[in-house]
Amino acid sequence: MNNTMIDVVLTGELAEGISFEQACATVEKLFKLPAEQARQLLETAPRVIKRGLDSETAEKYRLTIEKNGLKVRLQGDADTAAKSEVLAPETAAVPATAVTSAVVAQAPVEAAPAIARQETAVSTTATALAPAQPVAATDFAGLKFRIDGSPDFGFLTVQLPPGQMLKVEASAMATMDTNLVMKTKMKGGISRMLSGENLFLNEFTAENGPGEIGIAPATPGDLIHRYMRGETLYLQSGAFVASTPGINIETKWQGFTKGFFSGESLFLIRASGEGDLWLNSYGAIIEIDVKDGYVVDTGNIVAFTEGLEYSISKVGGYKSLFFSGEGFVCRFKGEGKLWIQTRSVGAFAGWAGQYRPTKD
Amino acid sequence: MHVELVNQPGNTAAKVSLRPGEVCTAESGAMLAMSSNMQITTTTHKKQGGSLLKAAKRLLGGESLFLNHFEPQNTPGEVWLGTDLAGDMLVLPLNNDNLIVQGGSFLACDEGIEVDLGWQGFKSLLSGERIFWLKLKGKGTAVLSSFGAIYPIEVDGDYIVDTGHIVAFSETLQFSITKAGMSWLQSILGGEGMVCKFSGRGTVWCQSHNESSFGQLLGPELKVRG
Repeated sequence: MNNTMIDVVLTGELAEGISFEQACATVEKLFKLPAEQARQLLETAPRVIKRGLDSETAEKYRLTIEKNGLKVRLQGDADTAAKSEVLAPETAAVPATAVTSAVVAQAPVEAAPAIARQETAVSTTATALAPAQPVAATDFAGLKFRIDGSPDFGFLTVQLPPGQMLKVEASAMATMDTNLVMKTKMKGGISRMLSGENLFLNEFTAENGPGEIGIAPATPGDLIHRYMRGETLYLQSGAFVASTPGINIETKWQGFTKGFFSGESLFLIRASGEGDLWLNSYGAIIEIDVKDGYVVDTGNIVAFTEGLEYSISKVGGYKSLFFSGEGFVCRFKGEGKLWIQTRSVGAFAGWAGQYRPTKD
Repeated sequence: MHVELVNQPGNTAAKVSLRPGEVCTAESGAMLAMSSNMQITTTTHKKQGGSLLKAAKRLLGGESLFLNHFEPQNTPGEVWLGTDLAGDMLVLPLNNDNLIVQGGSFLACDEGIEVDLGWQGFKSLLSGERIFWLKLKGKGTAVLSSFGAIYPIEVDGDYIVDTGHIVAFSETLQFSITKAGMSWLQSILGGEGMVCKFSGRGTVWCQSHNESSFGQLLGPELKVRG
């Protein structure tokens, strides 16, 4: 029964001697995708490219794709694995040779409860010793990293080569190698202070040899990685986790009306340049391809691509404004990608508020 | 109305896909995001025949007074629904089998289902939890949410559930509020207080965590109001 539910995951790793451009061309040809989409698919890898296949078909896919110099892995269906895990742990492992049961960090709609559970049990430092542990290693142009515990408790571990620097959200560092040296930098000056985002970014540099850093964001939730190639992303303040020095992090004034009515911070973070960028959320992250428009509750925005225009408006009529519980929403127009989170800090705080003690 | 649940069980969200003409009714404040062709109307009750009395009853049920109705214009649309607290969701097809849902656990339903407020009698007053429960009846799909994991229990005979852990149950079940221990003193000191005793045949859906227990734990850590 488990054999019938296998996902094929494109890891984004390339065989030796294959350049990124060649890989794009391959994907374009294999999946008959437009060039731009092929490129996007590879950039956001690991990605699930086929779902719910039987083991034979999945194996065929794997062979065809690997022949073309790309790496894939097969993984058992998360739900099936989760259910069978309780009854008989060994049955959860689909064909033992192919499955590495790795976290698909970037797959937008990837519920992987069984895998997440395994991941949390794995101590992050132990992974260097035990290569057979579930690992979402990605090494294309960027740094080697892994994300454990998605989508509930995302934890990021990044390998820094000697001399490499990493910018990290203040107070997010959980563990680090003794080779790393930390410097605190004030980024963006006064405007950053106003944004409500921490004024300081910490810079970790592997000065005395290679080093590893473990990063735990403040909120329980998902982590995603983007390898940026010159594009620009706007992030809700607080969504930034870490980036390599090639990424320029600035704050952007939303304008009085937008910021004021959204009830959220007046600033967005603008990230641009080339390199790795990691984002986090409160709750799981869902990726949405916007074709002509989308509406998001202001508290649930994680990030969006530059191509999207947005405005703050009310959700329906005036009755809805006051009574729908939605208040103001962000209306996106244009084409691009949008990331939303399934929980919101504001909504949680609202719920918790009813338990606040009263002054007497 | 087609419902897909993602990121179960901790950070569950429901993706509801609607064709033109279909309407999804959701708890107010549950919308995370939606396609731009979605029209929202906010009413005090179901689109047809909502009366103020019913709305008032809903308010007492711990649900908010208002429901949002999502209807895509011209082309198919989608709406993402989420909850304030971490937890799972459940998609239940109803075929004229009535369901009693605890106030905070209702998330959404399609047009075929009527949301009514069921008065469970004075016995439920004693439970210390939500006094009113919603009654879902009709034919269609209902989406329920929970705090923590959600699991069904097939009752045939008697079964006891802590009042704070009930998500929903079939109307075929009889219930009474009773003490958990042998004596009232034991029940209260044991922190269990009231429990719900079900009898008959049917299903009870339970949640692994209790909202008010978590709230009471969190409360003293928060800044004093005012």
